[in-house]
Amino acid sequence: MIELVSDPGWELLEELNIETEFDIVKARQSVRQYAKDAGMGIVDQTRITTAVSELFRNMYMYAGGGVVRIQKGMYEGHPALVITCMDNGPGIDDITLAMQDGYTSGQGMGYGLPGAKRLVDDFVLQSEPGQGTSVRVAKWK
Amino acid sequence: MITNERRIPIIKIRDFLIVSIQVDMHDRLALQLQTQILEEIARTHARGVLIDISTLEMVDSFIGRVLSGMASMAAIMDAAVVIVGMQPAVAITLVELGLEMPGVETALNMELGMEMLEKRLESER
Amino acid sequence: MNSTTITNAKERIEHIEDILSSVAAGDLDLRIESEFEDDLTGVEQAINLLIDDLTHELKKSLKLKQEMEEKLMKIQEQQKTILQQQEDLMELSSPVSKVWENILILPVIGTLDSQRTQIMMENLLQKIVTTGCTTAILDITGVPTVDTQVANHLLKTVTAARLLGAECIVSGISPAIAQTIVHLGINLSNILTKATLQDAMIYALRKNEQLINGKVVLNQIDTDEPK
Repeated sequence: MIELVSDPGWELLEELNIETEFDIVKARQSVRQYAKDAGMGIVDQTRITTAVSELFRNMYMYAGGGVVRIQKGMYEGHPALVITCMDNGPGIDDITLAMQDGYTSGQGMGYGLPGAKRLVDDFVLQSEPGQGTSVRVAKWK
Repeated sequence: MITNERRIPIIKIRDFLIVSIQVDMHDRLALQLQTQILEEIARTHARGVLIDISTLEMVDSFIGRVLSGMASMAAIMDAAVVIVGMQPAVAITLVELGLEMPGVETALNMELGMEMLEKRLESER
Repeated sequence: MNSTTITNAKERIEHIEDILSSVAAGDLDLRIESEFEDDLTGVEQAINLLIDDLTHELKKSLKLKQEMEEKLMKIQEQQKTILQQQEDLMELSSPVSKVWENILILPVIGTLDSQRTQIMMENLLQKIVTTGCTTAILDITGVPTVDTQVANHLLKTVTAARLLGAECIVSGISPAIAQTIVHLGINLSNILTKATLQDAMIYALRKNEQLINGKVVLNQIDTDEPK
């Protein structure tokens, strides 16, 4: 698993495991609640919830699951919600290709990663073939 | 909040099927609903389907794909699908996600959706 | 040998030291006092003059500082007002109104930035849902220019409106904006545009079957019209 370093100032809100399809639903509902608590508007709540839903599904489909860390804190000078997804899956061979609209290596239609990136304010992806994939997204008001 | 294996009810009124999705669907439930609706179209000879999603707080690429797929499949079976009551936040997010659902008919509310289907049916008669 | 004589040299130098350290500590009212007139007197007087100058300068700079602080406060106040006004303007400048049965109009005036466009877009979509109007006209006659981001937001609004079940018409695209849009490579071919607000209105009325033989009718009285 590729560990993405957290800022020591961030507060850990919740850590969840994605193992089943129900976990995807449960985790995205959690994220929505935290976005609401953070005072985000309805559109931003929907954006972040949808973005993480794509990421959780990727973890479930391509890596059989993974770990989700929900944190809040200052991110690039904004009070933000930071969600980190880490898995032990096969990793991504060609990240540039995976970030292209319409590209998919599996059953998806390929809106997952580039779509999720458009819905958040910051998107960090690290992946090594054989070592898994880690994605961090941040959303602020 | 999360329905396990509960089915989403499909109601038939005259020539149309009415489905109201009120739960945050996991992927398998969405696919199951797709099959269920297509089977009901075949069984009841319905000419149109109204799918109300006004209480859905989120439509991601998977659910979006299931919905637009269902519209195409139903069209081959000579039934029109109208997606009803999408929330503005959901619509904005779908567009930003890159899922513009071309070819899918939409209506602001049930009444307008029903009118659309009726007009369509009338023009065929 | 004619040497300089200084009366009470030690005491007087100590006195100078005392005064100087007091002055350094901020007490500017003190001056060197001496009852003798000799070679040290010049130094004493010079120091006193120096303290006078220092006092004067210090007072001046204090006054300046005070003035600066006051000005800063004023500027901060003004900035607050400007921010508030900007927010107010943002809300005021995107009024969505229902002008006819089933028809909404959003006249956009002034320069659009990404944030304002986004707020406008959300307002319009929300209004479409709450009023149930299936036609919305976005009139941008009063918009001097657009950039890529703003054009994309407009495009997004039209697409999102379609997902809700409404049609969004854009009217009043100026030659400058048309040029910008094409130069930027933004594809607006999927959205319905009309030259003027009037054309858009006529189109909307026709579509809703509210314009019959050049006369505008309300849907409700439509059926009561004599043949």
